[in-house]
Amino acid sequence: MREAFSNALVRLALADPKVLLLTGDHGYALFDEFRKRCPDRYINAGIAEQNMVGMAAGLARVGFRPFVYGLAAFVPIRTVEQIKLDIAHDNLPVVLLGDGAGFVYSHLGTSHQSTEDIACARAIPNLEVLSPADRFEMTASMYRAYVANGPVYLRMGKSDRGDVHAGPIDTLSPGLLIQVRTGRADLPGLIATGSMVRTALDLAQQRDMSVWSAPSLKPLSADDVCAVARACAAGLVTLEEHSVLGGLGAAITEITSERAPARVLRIGVPDRFSDHCGTHAYLLREHGLDAENAGARIDAFIQNAALAS
Amino acid sequence: MSSVATPQAQARVEQRFAPARMRRTVLEMAYAGSTVHIACAFSIIELVTVLYRNHLRYPGNDPRAEGRDYLVLSKGHGVMAQYACMHELGWLNDSHIQGYFKDGSELKGLSDSRVAGLEVTSGSLGHGFSVGVGIAMGLKRKGTDQTVYAIVGDGELNEGPIWEGALVAAHHRMDNLMLIVDKNGFQAMGTTDDVLALGDLSAKFTSFGFETLEVDGHDEAAVDAAIRQLWATGEGKPKALIARTVKGKGVPFMESDNRWHYTRLNPQTFAEAIDALGLPGAST
Repeated sequence: MREAFSNALVRLALADPKVLLLTGDHGYALFDEFRKRCPDRYINAGIAEQNMVGMAAGLARVGFRPFVYGLAAFVPIRTVEQIKLDIAHDNLPVVLLGDGAGFVYSHLGTSHQSTEDIACARAIPNLEVLSPADRFEMTASMYRAYVANGPVYLRMGKSDRGDVHAGPIDTLSPGLLIQVRTGRADLPGLIATGSMVRTALDLAQQRDMSVWSAPSLKPLSADDVCAVARACAAGLVTLEEHSVLGGLGAAITEITSERAPARVLRIGVPDRFSDHCGTHAYLLREHGLDAENAGARIDAFIQNAALAS
Repeated sequence: MSSVATPQAQARVEQRFAPARMRRTVLEMAYAGSTVHIACAFSIIELVTVLYRNHLRYPGNDPRAEGRDYLVLSKGHGVMAQYACMHELGWLNDSHIQGYFKDGSELKGLSDSRVAGLEVTSGSLGHGFSVGVGIAMGLKRKGTDQTVYAIVGDGELNEGPIWEGALVAAHHRMDNLMLIVDKNGFQAMGTTDDVLALGDLSAKFTSFGFETLEVDGHDEAAVDAAIRQLWATGEGKPKALIARTVKGKGVPFMESDNRWHYTRLNPQTFAEAIDALGLPGAST
Protein backbone atom coordinates (compact mmCIF):
# COMPACT_ATOMS: atom_id res chain seq x y z
CA MET A 1 0.00 0.00 0.00
CA ARG A 2 2.87 2.36 0.79
CA GLU A 3 4.56 1.36 -2.42
CA ALA A 4 1.33 2.14 -4.27
CA PHE A 5 1.32 5.54 -2.60
CA SER A 6 4.93 6.26 -3.53
CA ASN A 7 4.45 5.06 -7.11
CA ALA A 8 1.35 7.17 -7.61
CA LEU A 9 3.05 10.25 -6.19
CA VAL A 10 6.07 9.80 -8.45
CA ARG A 11 3.88 9.25 -11.50
CA LEU A 12 1.79 12.35 -10.78
CA ALA A 13 4.93 14.42 -10.26
CA LEU A 14 6.51 13.20 -13.47
CA ALA A 15 3.33 14.00 -15.38
CA ASP A 16 2.80 17.46 -13.85
CA PRO A 17 5.77 19.69 -13.07
CA LYS A 18 3.57 21.75 -10.72
CA VAL A 19 3.32 18.87 -8.24
CA LEU A 20 5.38 19.49 -5.11
CA LEU A 21 5.84 17.34 -2.03
CA LEU A 22 6.08 19.05 1.35
CA THR A 23 6.86 17.04 4.44
CA GLY A 24 7.14 18.07 8.06
CA ASP A 25 10.36 16.10 8.50
CA HIS A 26 8.52 12.78 8.30
CA GLY A 27 8.40 9.93 5.79
CA TYR A 28 11.74 8.20 6.24
CA ALA A 29 12.33 5.83 3.27
CA LEU A 30 8.81 6.49 1.96
CA PHE A 31 10.04 9.23 -0.35
CA ASP A 32 13.29 7.65 -1.56
CA GLU A 33 11.94 7.13 -5.07
CA PHE A 34 10.36 10.59 -5.22
CA ARG A 35 13.61 12.21 -4.08
CA LYS A 36 15.54 10.23 -6.67
CA ARG A 37 13.19 11.08 -9.55
CA CYS A 38 12.11 14.61 -8.58
CA PRO A 39 14.73 15.94 -6.17
CA ASP A 40 13.93 19.60 -6.75
CA ARG A 41 10.30 19.09 -5.87
CA TYR A 42 10.88 17.53 -2.47
CA ILE A 43 10.60 20.17 0.24
CA ASN A 44 11.31 19.24 3.82
CA ALA A 45 9.59 22.14 5.57
CA GLY A 46 11.02 21.23 8.94
CA ILE A 47 9.20 20.31 12.12
CA ALA A 48 6.87 23.24 11.60
CA GLU A 49 3.55 21.86 10.39
CA GLN A 50 1.47 24.99 10.83
CA ASN A 51 3.79 27.06 8.65
CA MET A 52 4.06 24.16 6.19
CA VAL A 53 0.29 24.04 5.62
CA GLY A 54 0.08 27.83 5.29
CA MET A 55 3.00 27.73 2.88
CA ALA A 56 1.26 25.05 0.81
CA ALA A 57 -1.68 27.46 0.49
CA GLY A 58 0.69 30.14 -0.78
CA LEU A 59 2.26 27.75 -3.29
CA ALA A 60 -1.19 26.74 -4.53
CA ARG A 61 -2.11 30.41 -4.89
CA VAL A 62 0.62 30.86 -7.47
CA GLY A 63 -0.23 27.73 -9.43
CA PHE A 64 1.54 24.80 -7.77
CA ARG A 65 -0.05 21.50 -6.72
CA PRO A 66 1.28 20.78 -3.23
CA PHE A 67 0.96 17.38 -1.58
CA VAL A 68 1.53 17.93 2.14
CA TYR A 69 2.64 14.94 4.15
CA GLY A 70 2.60 14.47 7.88
CA LEU A 71 1.37 12.07 10.51
CA ALA A 72 -2.40 12.31 10.83
CA ALA A 73 -1.88 13.52 14.40
CA PHE A 74 -0.27 16.64 12.88
CA VAL A 75 -1.74 16.84 9.38
CA PRO A 76 -4.64 17.44 9.74
CA ILE A 77 -5.06 17.56 13.51
CA ARG A 78 -2.36 20.01 14.57
CA THR A 79 -3.09 22.18 11.54
CA VAL A 80 -6.89 22.11 11.39
CA GLU A 81 -7.12 25.89 11.45
CA GLN A 82 -4.59 26.38 8.64
CA ILE A 83 -6.48 23.81 6.57
CA LYS A 84 -9.78 25.55 7.23
CA LEU A 85 -8.67 29.13 6.72
CA ASP A 86 -5.65 29.06 4.41
CA ILE A 87 -6.69 26.20 2.11
CA ALA A 88 -10.34 25.13 2.27
CA HIS A 89 -11.83 28.62 2.50
CA ASP A 90 -10.57 29.38 -1.00
CA ASN A 91 -10.87 25.88 -2.39
CA LEU A 92 -7.14 25.68 -3.10
CA PRO A 93 -5.81 22.49 -4.70
CA VAL A 94 -3.77 21.12 -1.82
CA VAL A 95 -3.69 17.42 -0.95
CA LEU A 96 -3.15 16.68 2.72
CA LEU A 97 -1.67 13.27 3.42
CA GLY A 98 -2.19 12.09 7.00
CA ASP A 99 -0.14 8.96 7.64
CA GLY A 100 -0.34 6.55 10.56
CA ALA A 101 -3.99 7.35 11.22
CA GLY A 102 -5.81 5.35 13.86
CA PHE A 103 -3.60 3.25 16.12
CA VAL A 104 -0.64 2.68 13.76
CA TYR A 105 1.71 4.18 16.36
CA SER A 106 0.30 1.84 18.95
CA HIS A 107 3.31 1.92 21.25
CA LEU A 108 3.81 5.69 21.24
CA GLY A 109 0.64 6.77 22.97
CA THR A 110 -1.94 9.45 22.38
CA SER A 111 0.36 12.06 20.80
CA HIS A 112 0.88 9.97 17.66
CA GLN A 113 -2.52 8.29 17.50
CA SER A 114 -5.31 9.85 15.51
CA THR A 115 -8.93 8.83 15.89
CA GLU A 116 -10.57 12.23 15.43
CA ASP A 117 -9.16 13.30 12.05
CA ILE A 118 -12.09 12.20 9.89
CA ALA A 119 -14.53 14.03 12.14
CA CYS A 120 -12.50 17.24 12.01
CA ALA A 121 -11.93 17.02 8.27
CA ARG A 122 -15.55 16.23 7.44
CA ALA A 123 -16.78 19.39 9.14
CA ILE A 124 -14.58 21.67 7.02
CA PRO A 125 -16.41 22.95 3.92
CA ASN A 126 -14.87 22.18 0.50
CA LEU A 127 -12.59 19.50 1.95
CA GLU A 128 -12.91 16.08 0.32
CA VAL A 129 -12.00 13.10 2.52
CA LEU A 130 -10.50 9.85 1.25
CA SER A 131 -9.69 6.74 3.28
CA PRO A 132 -8.26 3.91 1.17
CA ALA A 133 -8.26 0.31 2.39
CA ASP A 134 -5.65 -1.38 0.21
CA ARG A 135 -3.07 -0.68 -2.49
CA PHE A 136 -5.71 -0.52 -5.23
CA GLU A 137 -7.81 2.00 -3.36
CA MET A 138 -4.63 3.92 -2.53
CA THR A 139 -3.65 4.26 -6.17
CA ALA A 140 -7.18 5.29 -7.14
CA SER A 141 -7.35 7.72 -4.19
CA MET A 142 -4.12 9.44 -5.19
CA TYR A 143 -5.43 10.02 -8.71
CA ARG A 144 -8.78 11.16 -7.37
CA ALA A 145 -6.97 13.59 -5.03
CA TYR A 146 -5.08 15.03 -7.98
CA VAL A 147 -8.02 15.39 -10.37
CA ALA A 148 -10.24 16.81 -7.62
CA ASN A 149 -8.21 20.02 -8.12
CA GLY A 150 -9.35 21.24 -4.71
CA PRO A 151 -8.63 20.57 -1.04
CA VAL A 152 -8.41 16.87 -0.19
CA TYR A 153 -7.55 15.01 2.98
CA LEU A 154 -6.21 11.54 2.23
CA ARG A 155 -6.13 9.36 5.33
CA MET A 156 -3.40 6.73 5.44
CA GLY A 157 -4.01 4.14 8.15
CA LYS A 158 -2.67 0.67 8.90
CA SER A 159 -1.26 -0.34 5.56
CA ASP A 160 -0.25 -3.98 5.82
CA ARG A 161 -3.61 -5.69 6.11
CA GLY A 162 -3.68 -7.12 2.62
CA ASP A 163 -5.86 -6.55 -0.42
CA VAL A 164 -9.61 -6.19 -0.28
CA HIS A 165 -10.03 -5.84 -4.03
CA ALA A 166 -9.09 -8.43 -6.66
CA GLY A 167 -7.38 -5.87 -8.89
CA PRO A 168 -6.98 -2.22 -9.80
CA ILE A 169 -9.88 0.23 -9.55
CA ASP A 170 -10.19 2.24 -12.73
CA THR A 171 -11.63 5.44 -11.33
CA LEU A 172 -12.59 6.37 -7.84
CA SER A 173 -15.82 8.33 -8.07
CA PRO A 174 -16.26 10.50 -5.02
CA GLY A 175 -18.80 9.20 -2.55
CA LEU A 176 -19.41 5.75 -4.00
CA LEU A 177 -19.52 2.62 -1.85
CA ILE A 178 -17.73 -0.33 -3.44
CA GLN A 179 -19.18 -3.74 -2.75
CA VAL A 180 -16.36 -6.15 -1.95
CA ARG A 181 -18.39 -9.17 -0.84
CA THR A 182 -21.90 -10.43 -1.51
CA GLY A 183 -23.56 -12.41 1.26
CA ARG A 184 -26.95 -13.30 2.65
CA ALA A 185 -29.59 -10.66 2.07
CA ASP A 186 -31.30 -11.39 5.39
CA LEU A 187 -28.24 -10.38 7.42
CA PRO A 188 -27.04 -6.84 8.11
CA GLY A 189 -24.66 -5.28 5.59
CA LEU A 190 -21.19 -4.24 6.69
CA ILE A 191 -19.79 -0.89 5.58
CA ALA A 192 -16.16 -0.29 6.51
CA THR A 193 -13.36 2.10 5.68
CA GLY A 194 -9.57 1.96 5.66
CA SER A 195 -7.92 -0.76 7.70
CA MET A 196 -11.26 -2.08 8.96
CA VAL A 197 -12.41 -3.29 5.54
CA ARG A 198 -10.11 -6.29 5.95
CA THR A 199 -11.64 -6.99 9.38
CA ALA A 200 -15.12 -6.63 7.95
CA LEU A 201 -14.32 -9.15 5.20
CA ASP A 202 -13.00 -11.65 7.75
CA LEU A 203 -16.12 -11.25 9.91
CA ALA A 204 -18.40 -11.47 6.88
CA GLN A 205 -16.70 -14.63 5.67
CA GLN A 206 -17.63 -16.45 8.86
CA ARG A 207 -21.28 -15.29 8.70
CA ASP A 208 -21.82 -14.93 4.94
CA MET A 209 -22.57 -11.22 5.04
CA SER A 210 -22.24 -8.50 2.39
CA VAL A 211 -19.46 -5.91 2.69
CA TRP A 212 -18.98 -2.49 1.16
CA SER A 213 -15.80 -0.45 1.28
CA ALA A 214 -16.08 3.32 1.70
CA PRO A 215 -12.82 4.85 0.40
CA SER A 216 -14.46 8.24 -0.13
CA LEU A 217 -16.02 9.60 3.04
CA LYS A 218 -16.82 13.11 1.92
CA PRO A 219 -18.75 13.69 -0.16
CA LEU A 220 -20.64 10.47 0.49
CA SER A 221 -23.28 9.48 -2.03
CA ALA A 222 -26.63 9.62 -0.25
CA ASP A 223 -28.19 7.61 -3.07
CA ASP A 224 -25.60 4.88 -2.67
CA VAL A 225 -25.99 4.73 1.09
CA CYS A 226 -29.78 4.59 0.80
CA ALA A 227 -29.59 1.83 -1.79
CA VAL A 228 -27.39 -0.25 0.50
CA ALA A 229 -29.65 0.49 3.49
CA ARG A 230 -32.73 -0.62 1.53
CA ALA A 231 -30.96 -3.76 0.34
CA CYS A 232 -30.10 -4.71 3.91
CA ALA A 233 -33.41 -4.98 5.74
CA ALA A 234 -31.69 -6.39 8.82
CA GLY A 235 -29.70 -3.18 9.23
CA LEU A 236 -26.18 -1.89 8.73
CA VAL A 237 -22.94 -2.22 10.65
CA THR A 238 -20.19 0.34 10.19
CA LEU A 239 -16.56 -0.37 11.07
CA GLU A 240 -13.75 2.18 11.31
CA GLU A 241 -10.46 2.68 13.13
CA HIS A 242 -11.69 6.12 14.20
CA SER A 243 -13.93 7.58 16.86
CA VAL A 244 -17.58 6.55 16.72
CA LEU A 245 -18.22 10.30 16.77
CA GLY A 246 -18.06 12.09 13.45
CA GLY A 247 -16.57 9.39 11.25
CA LEU A 248 -17.96 6.80 8.84
CA GLY A 249 -20.72 5.58 11.18
CA ALA A 250 -21.86 9.12 11.80
CA ALA A 251 -21.78 9.95 8.10
CA ILE A 252 -23.90 6.90 7.27
CA THR A 253 -26.47 7.57 9.96
CA GLU A 254 -26.71 11.25 9.00
CA ILE A 255 -27.99 10.03 5.65
CA THR A 256 -30.10 7.06 6.73
CA SER A 257 -31.82 8.93 9.55
CA GLU A 258 -33.27 11.38 7.06
CA ARG A 259 -33.76 9.31 3.93
CA ALA A 260 -33.79 5.58 4.66
CA PRO A 261 -34.26 4.89 8.38
CA ALA A 262 -32.30 1.80 9.32
CA ARG A 263 -30.89 0.15 12.40
CA VAL A 264 -27.19 0.93 12.38
CA LEU A 265 -24.54 -0.52 14.67
CA ARG A 266 -21.52 1.78 14.73
CA ILE A 267 -18.31 -0.06 15.56
CA GLY A 268 -15.42 2.32 16.09
CA VAL A 269 -13.20 3.74 18.78
CA PRO A 270 -15.23 4.57 21.88
CA ASP A 271 -15.09 8.19 23.01
CA ARG A 272 -11.90 7.81 25.01
CA PHE A 273 -8.10 7.76 24.71
CA SER A 274 -6.03 4.59 24.82
CA ASP A 275 -5.16 3.45 28.33
CA HIS A 276 -2.17 1.27 27.52
CA CYS A 277 0.31 0.60 24.77
CA GLY A 278 1.09 -2.54 22.85
CA THR A 279 0.87 -3.94 19.36
CA HIS A 280 -1.66 -2.58 16.89
CA ALA A 281 -3.68 -5.77 17.45
CA TYR A 282 -3.56 -5.17 21.20
CA LEU A 283 -4.93 -1.62 20.87
CA LEU A 284 -7.72 -2.77 18.57
CA ARG A 285 -8.67 -5.25 21.29
CA GLU A 286 -8.49 -2.59 24.00
CA HIS A 287 -11.02 -0.55 22.02
CA GLY A 288 -13.21 -3.50 21.02
CA LEU A 289 -12.23 -3.36 17.34
CA ASP A 290 -10.66 -6.82 17.10
CA ALA A 291 -12.49 -9.57 15.24
CA GLU A 292 -13.62 -11.32 18.42
CA ASN A 293 -15.17 -8.28 20.11
CA ALA A 294 -16.56 -6.74 16.93
CA GLY A 295 -17.94 -10.14 15.90
CA ALA A 296 -19.71 -10.58 19.22
CA ARG A 297 -21.36 -7.18 18.83
CA ILE A 298 -22.42 -8.03 15.29
CA ASP A 299 -23.87 -11.34 16.44
CA ALA A 300 -25.84 -9.59 19.17
CA PHE A 301 -27.06 -7.06 16.60
CA ILE A 302 -28.23 -9.90 14.33
CA GLN A 303 -29.90 -11.60 17.31
CA ASN A 304 -31.74 -8.43 18.31
CA ALA A 305 -32.88 -7.86 14.74
CA ALA A 306 -34.30 -11.39 14.65
CA LEU A 307 -36.10 -10.84 17.97
CA ALA A 308 -37.52 -7.53 16.78
CA SER A 309 -38.94 -8.91 13.54
CA MET B 1 9.64 48.71 -8.56
CA SER B 2 7.49 51.59 -9.79
CA SER B 3 5.09 50.83 -12.63
CA VAL B 4 4.56 54.53 -13.37
CA ALA B 5 5.84 55.49 -16.78
CA THR B 6 5.35 59.24 -17.26
CA PRO B 7 5.60 62.39 -15.12
CA GLN B 8 1.91 63.06 -15.75
CA ALA B 9 0.97 59.62 -14.58
CA GLN B 10 3.30 60.05 -11.61
CA ALA B 11 1.51 63.27 -10.67
CA ARG B 12 -1.85 61.51 -10.82
CA VAL B 13 -0.54 58.76 -8.62
CA GLU B 14 0.88 61.26 -6.13
CA GLN B 15 -2.57 62.78 -5.85
CA ARG B 16 -3.88 59.41 -4.84
CA PHE B 17 -3.04 57.86 -1.52
CA ALA B 18 -3.05 61.04 0.56
CA PRO B 19 -2.82 59.65 4.10
CA ALA B 20 -5.30 62.13 5.59
CA ARG B 21 -7.88 61.28 2.95
CA MET B 22 -7.34 57.58 3.49
CA ARG B 23 -7.85 58.04 7.23
CA ARG B 24 -11.09 59.83 6.41
CA THR B 25 -12.13 56.82 4.32
CA VAL B 26 -11.39 54.57 7.27
CA LEU B 27 -13.42 56.79 9.59
CA GLU B 28 -16.32 56.86 7.14
CA MET B 29 -16.30 53.08 6.89
CA ALA B 30 -16.02 52.62 10.62
CA TYR B 31 -18.81 55.09 11.27
CA ALA B 32 -21.08 53.66 8.57
CA GLY B 33 -20.54 50.13 9.81
CA SER B 34 -20.31 50.99 13.52
CA THR B 35 -17.19 48.93 13.68
CA VAL B 36 -13.95 48.71 15.63
CA HIS B 37 -10.22 48.32 14.81
CA ILE B 38 -9.84 51.96 13.68
CA ALA B 39 -6.53 52.38 15.48
CA CYS B 40 -5.21 49.12 13.96
CA ALA B 41 -5.76 50.58 10.49
CA PHE B 42 -4.38 54.02 11.32
CA SER B 43 -0.97 52.72 12.34
CA ILE B 44 -0.30 51.27 8.87
CA ILE B 45 -1.72 54.04 6.66
CA GLU B 46 1.65 55.44 5.58
CA LEU B 47 3.08 51.94 5.13
CA VAL B 48 0.34 50.86 2.73
CA THR B 49 0.42 54.28 1.08
CA VAL B 50 4.08 53.89 0.16
CA LEU B 51 3.62 50.28 -0.91
CA TYR B 52 0.68 50.93 -3.23
CA ARG B 53 1.98 54.22 -4.56
CA ASN B 54 5.62 53.36 -5.14
CA HIS B 55 6.20 49.62 -5.07
CA LEU B 56 3.33 47.23 -5.71
CA ARG B 57 2.88 46.40 -9.39
CA TYR B 58 -0.57 45.50 -10.69
CA PRO B 59 -0.39 45.07 -14.47
CA GLY B 60 -3.46 46.66 -16.02
CA ASN B 61 -4.52 47.92 -12.57
CA ASP B 62 -5.96 44.43 -12.12
CA PRO B 63 -5.93 43.23 -8.49
CA ARG B 64 -5.82 39.63 -9.72
CA ALA B 65 -3.22 40.12 -12.48
CA GLU B 66 -1.01 37.06 -12.65
CA GLY B 67 2.19 39.09 -12.73
CA ARG B 68 1.34 41.24 -9.71
CA ASP B 69 3.31 41.79 -6.56
CA TYR B 70 1.63 40.51 -3.42
CA LEU B 71 0.65 42.46 -0.33
CA VAL B 72 -0.29 39.99 2.36
CA LEU B 73 -2.04 41.66 5.28
CA SER B 74 -1.30 39.12 7.96
CA LYS B 75 -2.65 41.49 10.65
CA GLY B 76 -6.14 41.31 9.20
CA HIS B 77 -7.39 43.78 11.80
CA GLY B 78 -5.90 46.62 9.78
CA VAL B 79 -7.96 45.78 6.71
CA MET B 80 -9.71 49.16 6.56
CA ALA B 81 -6.36 50.73 5.64
CA GLN B 82 -6.16 48.37 2.69
CA TYR B 83 -9.79 49.09 1.74
CA ALA B 84 -8.88 52.79 1.72
CA CYS B 85 -6.07 52.07 -0.76
CA MET B 86 -8.37 49.94 -2.89
CA HIS B 87 -10.80 52.86 -2.89
CA GLU B 88 -8.02 55.18 -4.10
CA LEU B 89 -7.25 52.70 -6.89
CA GLY B 90 -10.88 52.53 -7.95
CA TRP B 91 -11.17 48.87 -6.97
CA LEU B 92 -13.79 49.84 -4.40
CA ASN B 93 -16.41 52.51 -4.89
CA ASP B 94 -18.19 54.87 -2.53
CA SER B 95 -21.02 52.42 -1.95
CA HIS B 96 -18.50 49.92 -0.56
CA ILE B 97 -17.41 52.58 1.91
CA GLN B 98 -20.85 53.82 2.88
CA GLY B 99 -22.35 50.32 2.85
CA TYR B 100 -19.69 48.78 5.09
CA PHE B 101 -21.12 46.01 7.30
CA LYS B 102 -24.61 46.26 5.81
CA ASP B 103 -26.35 42.89 5.75
CA GLY B 104 -25.13 40.87 2.79
CA SER B 105 -22.12 43.11 2.11
CA GLU B 106 -18.90 41.76 0.68
CA LEU B 107 -16.26 43.53 2.75
CA LYS B 108 -15.70 41.94 6.11
CA GLY B 109 -14.14 43.24 9.29
CA LEU B 110 -10.96 41.24 8.69
CA SER B 111 -9.03 40.46 5.53
CA ASP B 112 -10.84 37.94 3.31
CA SER B 113 -9.10 36.69 0.19
CA ARG B 114 -12.32 36.26 -1.73
CA VAL B 115 -12.26 40.04 -2.14
CA ALA B 116 -10.19 40.94 -5.20
CA GLY B 117 -7.24 42.92 -3.88
CA LEU B 118 -6.91 41.03 -0.60
CA GLU B 119 -4.48 38.12 -0.83
CA VAL B 120 -5.16 36.19 2.37
CA THR B 121 -7.91 35.41 4.81
CA SER B 122 -6.48 36.61 8.08
CA GLY B 123 -7.45 37.94 11.44
CA SER B 124 -6.71 34.66 13.04
CA LEU B 125 -3.16 35.79 13.60
CA GLY B 126 -0.02 34.06 12.44
CA HIS B 127 -1.56 32.73 9.22
CA GLY B 128 -0.87 35.31 6.54
CA PHE B 129 2.88 35.35 6.89
CA SER B 130 3.15 31.60 6.25
CA VAL B 131 0.95 31.94 3.17
CA GLY B 132 3.21 34.80 2.06
CA VAL B 133 6.27 32.58 2.53
CA GLY B 134 4.60 29.98 0.30
CA ILE B 135 3.78 32.59 -2.34
CA ALA B 136 7.38 33.83 -2.24
CA MET B 137 8.67 30.27 -2.56
CA GLY B 138 6.36 29.66 -5.53
CA LEU B 139 7.38 32.88 -7.28
CA LYS B 140 11.06 32.02 -6.84
CA ARG B 141 10.46 28.57 -8.28
CA LYS B 142 8.79 30.21 -11.27
CA GLY B 143 11.78 32.50 -11.68
CA THR B 144 9.78 35.73 -11.81
CA ASP B 145 10.83 39.07 -10.31
CA GLN B 146 7.55 39.48 -8.45
CA THR B 147 7.81 40.42 -4.79
CA VAL B 148 5.82 39.65 -1.65
CA TYR B 149 5.22 42.03 1.25
CA ALA B 150 3.70 40.70 4.46
CA ILE B 151 2.50 43.16 7.09
CA VAL B 152 2.34 41.66 10.56
CA GLY B 153 1.45 43.33 13.81
CA ASP B 154 3.94 43.34 16.66
CA GLY B 155 1.34 41.65 18.84
CA GLU B 156 0.98 39.05 16.10
CA LEU B 157 4.62 38.13 16.65
CA ASN B 158 3.38 36.21 19.72
CA GLU B 159 2.21 33.54 17.27
CA GLY B 160 4.55 30.59 16.73
CA PRO B 161 4.05 30.09 12.97
CA ILE B 162 5.59 33.52 12.32
CA TRP B 163 8.89 32.22 13.65
CA GLU B 164 8.51 28.92 11.80
CA GLY B 165 8.01 30.93 8.63
CA ALA B 166 11.01 33.14 9.41
CA LEU B 167 13.26 30.08 9.65
CA VAL B 168 11.94 28.73 6.38
CA ALA B 169 12.23 32.07 4.55
CA ALA B 170 15.88 32.43 5.51
CA HIS B 171 16.71 28.79 4.85
CA HIS B 172 15.27 28.99 1.34
CA ARG B 173 16.92 32.35 0.66
CA MET B 174 13.67 34.15 -0.11
CA ASP B 175 15.06 37.52 -1.09
CA ASN B 176 11.76 38.31 -2.81
CA LEU B 177 9.95 38.47 0.54
CA MET B 178 9.69 41.49 2.85
CA LEU B 179 8.21 41.19 6.31
CA ILE B 180 6.94 44.53 7.60
CA VAL B 181 6.32 44.73 11.32
CA ASP B 182 3.77 47.34 12.40
CA LYS B 183 5.49 48.02 15.70
CA ASN B 184 2.86 50.14 17.41
CA GLY B 185 3.62 48.72 20.83
CA PHE B 186 0.09 47.59 21.57
CA GLN B 187 -1.92 44.43 21.32
CA ALA B 188 -5.51 43.73 22.27
CA MET B 189 -5.19 43.81 26.05
CA GLY B 190 -2.29 46.17 26.64
CA THR B 191 1.21 47.12 25.59
CA THR B 192 3.38 44.48 24.00
CA ASP B 193 5.90 45.07 26.78
CA ASP B 194 3.33 44.25 29.44
CA VAL B 195 1.69 41.31 27.69
CA LEU B 196 4.64 39.45 26.17
CA ALA B 197 7.82 41.46 25.73
CA LEU B 198 9.28 41.18 22.23
CA GLY B 199 12.77 42.45 23.00
CA ASP B 200 14.97 43.74 20.22
CA LEU B 201 13.08 42.88 17.04
CA SER B 202 15.83 44.01 14.70
CA ALA B 203 18.32 41.80 16.48
CA LYS B 204 15.88 38.92 16.44
CA PHE B 205 15.19 39.08 12.71
CA THR B 206 18.84 39.72 11.91
CA SER B 207 19.73 36.62 13.89
CA PHE B 208 17.15 34.67 11.89
CA GLY B 209 19.04 35.64 8.73
CA PHE B 210 16.95 38.60 7.56
CA GLU B 211 18.30 41.83 6.11
CA THR B 212 16.75 44.22 8.61
CA LEU B 213 16.07 47.95 8.91
CA GLU B 214 14.14 50.06 11.39
CA VAL B 215 12.20 53.10 10.28
CA ASP B 216 9.65 55.67 11.40
CA GLY B 217 6.56 54.01 9.94
CA HIS B 218 4.77 57.34 9.46
CA ASP B 219 7.56 59.06 7.50
CA GLU B 220 6.64 58.22 3.91
CA ALA B 221 9.99 59.23 2.44
CA ALA B 222 11.90 57.24 5.04
CA VAL B 223 9.71 54.18 4.54
CA ASP B 224 10.17 54.38 0.79
CA ALA B 225 13.94 54.73 1.14
CA ALA B 226 14.14 51.85 3.60
CA ILE B 227 12.18 49.54 1.29
CA ARG B 228 14.44 50.43 -1.63
CA GLN B 229 17.54 49.90 0.49
CA LEU B 230 16.34 46.52 1.73
CA TRP B 231 15.72 45.28 -1.82
CA ALA B 232 19.12 46.56 -2.88
CA THR B 233 21.09 44.88 -0.12
CA GLY B 234 21.41 41.48 1.52
CA GLU B 235 21.36 39.28 -1.57
CA GLY B 236 19.76 35.94 -0.85
CA LYS B 237 18.21 37.16 2.38
CA PRO B 238 14.57 37.80 3.18
CA LYS B 239 13.93 41.36 4.33
CA ALA B 240 12.46 42.69 7.55
CA LEU B 241 11.33 46.27 7.97
CA ILE B 242 10.61 47.15 11.57
CA ALA B 243 8.28 50.13 11.32
CA ARG B 244 7.90 52.16 14.50
CA THR B 245 4.29 53.34 14.43
CA VAL B 246 1.66 54.92 16.64
CA LYS B 247 -1.55 53.02 17.13
CA GLY B 248 -4.40 55.37 16.18
CA LYS B 249 -1.99 57.72 14.36
CA GLY B 250 -3.57 60.83 12.82
CA VAL B 251 -6.33 61.55 15.30
CA PRO B 252 -4.76 62.86 18.51
CA PHE B 253 -7.39 61.52 20.88
CA MET B 254 -6.97 58.03 19.43
CA GLU B 255 -3.18 57.95 19.41
CA SER B 256 -1.71 55.33 21.72
CA ASP B 257 -5.07 54.97 23.44
CA ASN B 258 -5.78 51.26 23.14
CA ARG B 259 -9.50 51.78 23.71
CA TRP B 260 -9.63 52.61 19.99
CA HIS B 261 -8.82 48.99 19.23
CA TYR B 262 -12.39 48.34 20.36
CA THR B 263 -14.32 51.61 20.48
CA ARG B 264 -17.01 52.52 17.96
CA LEU B 265 -17.56 56.03 16.72
CA ASN B 266 -20.58 58.06 17.75
CA PRO B 267 -21.72 61.21 15.89
CA GLN B 268 -19.59 63.41 18.13
CA THR B 269 -16.35 61.40 18.04
CA PHE B 270 -16.78 60.89 14.31
CA ALA B 271 -17.05 64.65 13.74
CA GLU B 272 -14.11 65.35 16.06
CA ALA B 273 -11.97 62.74 14.36
CA ILE B 274 -12.75 64.06 10.88
CA ASP B 275 -11.90 67.59 12.05
CA ALA B 276 -8.65 66.38 13.53
CA LEU B 277 -7.51 65.16 10.11
CA GLY B 278 -7.46 68.80 8.96
CA LEU B 279 -8.76 68.12 5.48
CA PRO B 280 -10.05 71.22 3.68
CA GLY B 281 -13.84 71.46 3.88
CA ALA B 282 -14.03 68.26 5.88
CA SER B 283 -15.92 69.62 8.88
CA THR B 284 -19.21 67.79 9.32
